[in-house]
Amino acid sequence: MKARTPSQACCLLLLGLAAGVLAHAGERVLRVAILTNSPPMSYTDASGKPAGFNVGVARALCETMKVRCELTVVELAKVVDAVAAGEFDFAAVSLLATPARQARVLFSKPYYRSNSIWFSQPGVTPGATSARVAAVAGSAQYRYARAQGWNVVAVDHHSELPALLSAGKVNAVLLPMATSLSLRANPLIQSLGLETTVLQAPELSGDVGFSIDPRNPQLRDHINAAFDQIKRDGRFDRLNTEYLPFRLQ
Amino acid sequence: MTALLRTLRGALAVDWRAFLRAHWTQRSWPAGKALGWLGALFGVAFLAQILWLASDQRQVLESSERLLERTVPSTLEHFRVARNLEQLRLEGERVFSGRTPVARQQARFIVSLLSSHPAMLADSRVAALAREVDAFLSQAARQGMSEQHYAEWETLSSRLSLLADDISTEGVNLASADLQLMSTTMLRSQVKLALVLALVALFVGGFLFLIHRHLIRPLQEMDDALRELRSGQALTPFSTTAMAEIRAVEGAIGQLREVMHENDEARRQLHFLATTDSLTGMFNRRHFMALAEDELRRAHRYGRPICVGMADLDNFKGINDGHGHAVGDRVLQSLAELFGHTLRQSDWVCRYGGEEFAFLFTETTLDEAHRLAERLRQHAAETSIDVGDGSGGLQLTLSLGLADASTGSLEAALGRADTALYAAKEEGRNRVVIAASAKTPRPPPEEGKDLDSPTGERGRK
Repeated sequence: MKARTPSQACCLLLLGLAAGVLAHAGERVLRVAILTNSPPMSYTDASGKPAGFNVGVARALCETMKVRCELTVVELAKVVDAVAAGEFDFAAVSLLATPARQARVLFSKPYYRSNSIWFSQPGVTPGATSARVAAVAGSAQYRYARAQGWNVVAVDHHSELPALLSAGKVNAVLLPMATSLSLRANPLIQSLGLETTVLQAPELSGDVGFSIDPRNPQLRDHINAAFDQIKRDGRFDRLNTEYLPFRLQ
Repeated sequence: MTALLRTLRGALAVDWRAFLRAHWTQRSWPAGKALGWLGALFGVAFLAQILWLASDQRQVLESSERLLERTVPSTLEHFRVARNLEQLRLEGERVFSGRTPVARQQARFIVSLLSSHPAMLADSRVAALAREVDAFLSQAARQGMSEQHYAEWETLSSRLSLLADDISTEGVNLASADLQLMSTTMLRSQVKLALVLALVALFVGGFLFLIHRHLIRPLQEMDDALRELRSGQALTPFSTTAMAEIRAVEGAIGQLREVMHENDEARRQLHFLATTDSLTGMFNRRHFMALAEDELRRAHRYGRPICVGMADLDNFKGINDGHGHAVGDRVLQSLAELFGHTLRQSDWVCRYGGEEFAFLFTETTLDEAHRLAERLRQHAAETSIDVGDGSGGLQLTLSLGLADASTGSLEAALGRADTALYAAKEEGRNRVVIAASAKTPRPPPEEGKDLDSPTGERGRK
C-alpha cells in the first residue's frame, strides 16, 4: 500500500491538472461591447479603465452568470450592427428598444425607462427653423431629428457637444436623459443659460435594455435572470447610487 | 305497535348478524389476497393524502415563486419611487439653498428630469405631486427665492416625504398577501401531515392486529396442537380463522391427528395380538418368555430370589371329550380369571400350550412360591365352573411344578419345573411339587403367610 502511494499521488496530480486544463478550455468568455463617451453610463476613468453605470451592470451580470467577460469599446453608431453581426455576445449600452432595433437584435428585459432632453439656447424650441441641433450619430435622438427634418449636426461622442454649444456651432442638443446629467454639469455650457425641455415622443422615450446577439436567445434568458438577481440582491441599486443622482426605473 | 317494532327490530338484528356470519365471519380469505387488498387500500389512501398534501406544497411553491418573481421586484420598484420622491425633495432643497447658481441650476435640471421621468408618471399621485413641485420651483426660480416661497416649499417637502413613506409601505404590504397565504397553507399542511401520520399509524396498527389475529395466533394454536399430538393429548379444537391458508393447515393437522390416532389404535391392537393368547387373554408363550428372560437377568444381576412354575389342568382331555371343546374353552377362560384373582401383581403367567401354564414369581423365594402355588391349587379345587348344562358345575384340579430360577437359564428352570409337574401328575394330581428337592409332597405352607394379596389384572396376562 505504501509502495503505491507515490504513483497514486502522481495520478491524482495529473488528473487535477487535466481537469484544470479542461475547465479552463471549457470556460465561456462573453464578448461585451461598451461605450466610453457617455458619462455617467459609460466612460473611461482616471486610471484609463472602463467605468460607469452600464459597465458596472455588465460586470455584475457576468459575475452572476459565472462567465468571464471581455469588454470592448465601440462607437454608438456601430453597436447594433456589430451585435447583429455576432461580433459581440451583447452590448452593455442603453438602447431604446425601438421596433427597427428589435428587428435586428435581441433585447434584454428593460432595466429602466428613459426619455430625451432638448438643451437649447433660450427661445430655441424643438422643431424651430432657427434651431441647429447636435446629436450623437446612431442614437435614437439623431434618427428622430433627421426624421423630423430638423437641421442636425452629427457627432461621434457626447463629449463633443459642450464645445459645439459653447462655440455657437449649434444652438441645441438632443440627447438621452441619463447622459444629459453629465452634459448639464459641464462648465463650458454653464454660462450659456441653456433651457431644458423634456421630449416624450414615443421614438425618444420608453424601455431601455441591452442588445444581445440574435443567434443566442439562451443568453438573453440568462441575462434576464441575472438582471432579476442583481436587482433583488441590491447590486443594481448600489451602482445606481454610485453613478446617478436618482433611481433609474 | 311497540311490540311489533321490537319484533321487527329483533328480526332485522338477527338477519343482520346471520348475514354477517354467513358472508363475513365464516368466510375464509386467502391471506395473500386479503393482505394485498389491505395494502392496496392503504396505498390508495396514502397516495390520496400525499396528493392532498402536495397541493399545499404546490401552492406554497407558487406563492414563493410569485413572491420572488413578481412581488419582490414590484416592492423594489416602490422603494425606488419612494427614493426618487425623496431625491426630488433634496433637489428642491438645493434649488433654494445651493451654494452657487450652477448648483441651483443643476438641481432644477434634476427636478425637471425626475418630474418628467416615465416611472414617476406611472403613479397618478406621484405624477401630480412631481409636476406640482416642478411648476412651483420653476415659478419660484422666475420670481425669486422669497421666504414665502420657502414656506410653501416646506409644505411641499413634507408632502413629498409623506408620499414617499406611503409608497414604501405599499411596497412592503405587497408581500403581506403572499406571506399570509403561505402561512395559512403551511398551517393547513401541518394538519394534513398529522392526518397522514395518523393514517399510517392506523394502518400499521391494523396490519399488526390482523397479522397477530389471523396469522400469529393461529400459528401458535397449531404449535400447541402439534405439541398435544406429540404428547398424545386430545386435540383442542381450533378457533375459527379467516385465513384460507391457515384453515387448510388446520384441516391438515386435524387429518394428521385422525391418522395418528388410527395408527396408534392399530399399533395397540397389533401389540395385543402379538403378546396375548386370544382365548384366555393371558400373555402368549413368546411374550412371556421375553419378559421372563428380562426378569431373570435382572434377578441374577442383583442376586434376587426368583422362581418359575408350570401348571397343568388335571383331566382336561376328559372335559373336552365329555362336554365338548366349547366347555373346554370356557374352563380355560375361567381358570385364567382364577389366576388373575389369586396371583399377585408382580407375578407373571402365560398359556404355555393347551391346558398347560407357565409362571414367573419375581422377588419370591421357593417357599413363598410354594405357598402361592398351594393357594392357587386350593382355590382351583374349591372353584366350580358353570358350563350351562344344569349339572351344577365342573370341579377342577391343578397340578403344579415349581423350580428355583435364581441360578441357571430360564429354559433349564422351566425344564425342572416341568419335571416337577410331571412328578405331581405321577403322584396323583392336584398337588404342588418342587423341583430339585425331589421331596414330595412338601407340607403345604400356612395359608396367607408372607404373601401379598392378589390384586390387579397383571397376573392374568
